[in-house]
Amino acid sequence: MSLERKDDHDHGAWLESRDDLSHIETAYLTVLMWLDKRLRIVDYLELLEDLYYKVNMQMPKSHTEQYGLDNKFWYWYPLYALGSFSTLAYVVAAISGALLGFYYTPGAGASETSSLAYQQIEFIMLELNFGYFLRSLHRWSAQVMVAAVFLHMLRVYFTGAYKEPRELNWLLGIVLISLTMVFGYTGYLLPWDQLAFWAGQIGVEMSLSIPLIGEWVAQLLFGGFTPNPATLQRMYILHVFFLPFIVTALIAIHIGIVWMQGIAEPH
Amino acid sequence: MTDDTDTTDERTDGGETGIVPPDDETPAWSERKARKQGLSRLTYEYFERARREDQDLRQQSSYVERDVLGFPAWPHEMVRNLALTSFFVGMIIILSATLPPHIDAPANPSSTPEVILPDWYLYWSFGLLKLGFLNPELSLLGGEKLMTDRTYGVLANLVVVGIVAIVPFLNKGSARRPVEQPFWASVGVAGVVFSFTIAVLSIKNLVPIEEGLLNDLTFLLPIVAGFISYAVLKSMREGYMFNLNRRYYRLRPPK
Ligand code: HEM
Repeated sequence: MSLERKDDHDHGAWLESRDDLSHIETAYLTVLMWLDKRLRIVDYLELLEDLYYKVNMQMPKSHTEQYGLDNKFWYWYPLYALGSFSTLAYVVAAISGALLGFYYTPGAGASETSSLAYQQIEFIMLELNFGYFLRSLHRWSAQVMVAAVFLHMLRVYFTGAYKEPRELNWLLGIVLISLTMVFGYTGYLLPWDQLAFWAGQIGVEMSLSIPLIGEWVAQLLFGGFTPNPATLQRMYILHVFFLPFIVTALIAIHIGIVWMQGIAEPH
Repeated sequence: MTDDTDTTDERTDGGETGIVPPDDETPAWSERKARKQGLSRLTYEYFERARREDQDLRQQSSYVERDVLGFPAWPHEMVRNLALTSFFVGMIIILSATLPPHIDAPANPSSTPEVILPDWYLYWSFGLLKLGFLNPELSLLGGEKLMTDRTYGVLANLVVVGIVAIVPFLNKGSARRPVEQPFWASVGVAGVVFSFTIAVLSIKNLVPIEEGLLNDLTFLLPIVAGFISYAVLKSMREGYMFNLNRRYYRLRPPK
């Protein structure tokens, strides 16, 4: 008796017997069978297929379609792109930000003239090829994102799209717009120029004025009661580590909910 | 190895696999769930109800379903999306190429600049911090303020965000379009105008308007804008109702 396992369903032989297949098809099937044997992909494909058909096969006629209302508010529709534009601007900011991250170093340590962070920004702006443009791109996409998010919120408000069953997405949206602004604020501090420093000062004062836990918050977020090297380090980690993960996840959930619930239509 | 009698399982390392093939004795998934206790039992019961409700609603419904699948994702939707995306990203690129960013002098803790400002999108928040003049002085405390102006400003921020957050829980019902809910639409207009006036207030040392007047305008303009849009929407609603009625009577002429 051989130790070789017997193949109940001899897919290999089946593949050999198919001489009508092109090279691409053969290669595809070989890879698929290899993976499936180890990972049972078939089951998951079935699940996906199921999902796909549930989502796409039978779309109920939309309200606008059913009552022939399309002509009445086509002029709202462009505004429905604002959420996607927020996402797009976020993606552009993420890519340009990652590239900026190759060259930027946080560091506000004492030196006679300027800090390490400031020198890195100077390097990016003056010496690095396209560095000027990269920083510009990052800033502009951030600004455009905030603008788009704000307008998106107005669109949702004025089309009454926050009503049942979409309250949760509205709340999630509030969190998102706040985090977007925190994103902007932490980024604003990174060049560690005069504007950054004094904006940091305002942030510290704001946290200090929270009753009871003010000092604790200032310590936690700013690492002290005046902007200092620890402040820059913390803003940096918030900006490039915490916020990207959190905001990306929340955007995914936000859009996932829109996908589940469908877009609200004006009645 | 090839004949059928030989196919008893020789491959296991020994003993049973412990996997019971489903037969009449084996509880189905729903039966297993139904036997559960406590919270999972409640969850199961609710899910069953909800599923039955869906089923009933679907059977009763006269809701028309499409017999088409919708637009094909490729090329229709994708071409449109690509066009919009490239237009939008192109716009950002043009902006950044033509309007490059600024960098200030290096941070210097010992010289406070004349103008301290965050990015424009935080002006509204910054403006709320400057609302100290509204902070009530309690005569009970001998003219003392209950909280410092700074605390008051931070609180104002929380209040504004909080109000925006609870909108869905205040405004219910199925009205969606502004003409159908003139009140809420004008509240929205007032809010938008306020976000601008409060932003202007935050840079009041740059605005050539006298301070008291600016403070008043900050709150008056939104109210005025709210009233105007309320009036406009109300009258638009009349026209809208007129059209609806006309259409209705055309379809069902009065006998
Ligand atoms: C990072 C910021 C945000 C992103 C990337 C985002 C993305 C999106 C997208 C892509 C949609 C699909 C519909 C559309 O594009 O209009 C959507 C819908 C929605 N968003 Fe946002 N959004 C953001 C912020 C907000 C904010 C600030 C709010 C409100 C406070 C909000 C509330 C909603 C609601 C309620 C819907 C459902 C609207 C409907 O069904 O018509 N979102 N969002």
